[in-house]
Amino acid sequence: MATLNITYDGMSADVPVELDRPVSDTDVRRIAVELIRSGGVPGMHLSQLRDETFQHYAVDRFRGARGEERIYLRPKVPFGAR
Amino acid sequence: MRIAFCGVGAIGSHAAVLCRNLEATLVFIDFDRVEAKNLLAQAYVKPSVGRNKAEALKLQFLNLHGLKTEAMGVRVTRDNVATLCGGADLLVDCFDNRDGRQVLSDFARAHGKPLVHGAVSGDGTFGLVRWEEHFVPDAEDTAGQATCEGGAHLPLLGLLSATLARVIQDFAKEGLRRNALVNLSSVTPTPGA
Repeated sequence: MATLNITYDGMSADVPVELDRPVSDTDVRRIAVELIRSGGVPGMHLSQLRDETFQHYAVDRFRGARGEERIYLRPKVPFGAR
Repeated sequence: MRIAFCGVGAIGSHAAVLCRNLEATLVFIDFDRVEAKNLLAQAYVKPSVGRNKAEALKLQFLNLHGLKTEAMGVRVTRDNVATLCGGADLLVDCFDNRDGRQVLSDFARAHGKPLVHGAVSGDGTFGLVRWEEHFVPDAEDTAGQATCEGGAHLPLLGLLSATLARVIQDFAKEGLRRNALVNLSSVTPTPGA
């Protein structure tokens, strides 16, 4: 069991996901779209979410304190603000 | 402890102000000048318009808070990064571009300097505080992508700056290295501390 954290449009939520194999960044983006469309992400039920919504998002992967897999899907942060 | 804020724009200026309680020497590094539009999103006041940002922040610390700090009004490059940052015990990256972040990253890794990054997304909905060992600068989606200018994102910038200041203080006082994701509904600590 892994935890997918999705940050989108100022919102952020954790979702437990069952992954039976390593998933690519592209897979993570696709899974996130499906989860949000289906209402599987607390506070983010957007049935009309576009397929390419997360095309430019970054995927980070960490191990939590107990060794669990945590995957973060988040906007890029290439800049600060002027 | 000597803490160098590299870039004192929207993130760096506010984070620095929120570190004024620390028993540390704060050093501000920025080549840019304060413009009138900066007053909406950065910690500058009207009399600072036209001054170098590092010098302006130093003056504001002295005049408004009675605190002495140091200022270096130059651009950080590969040629001068060792001179500017070599004496710091902690580097704080608040730059607004990938190249500047990369210069700091390379220097910190080569010299074993603690370095923490603060960064915000272009649309102002998301921010990141992350230590160097977990940080990779993201590329632009498209060349010349617009930055978030003006005061539209001030609430998120305030939250991000406060989170960064807390991370700096935790490091200065206890040696902790906390990471965080920041948006307007939450601040989420992330692994790696």
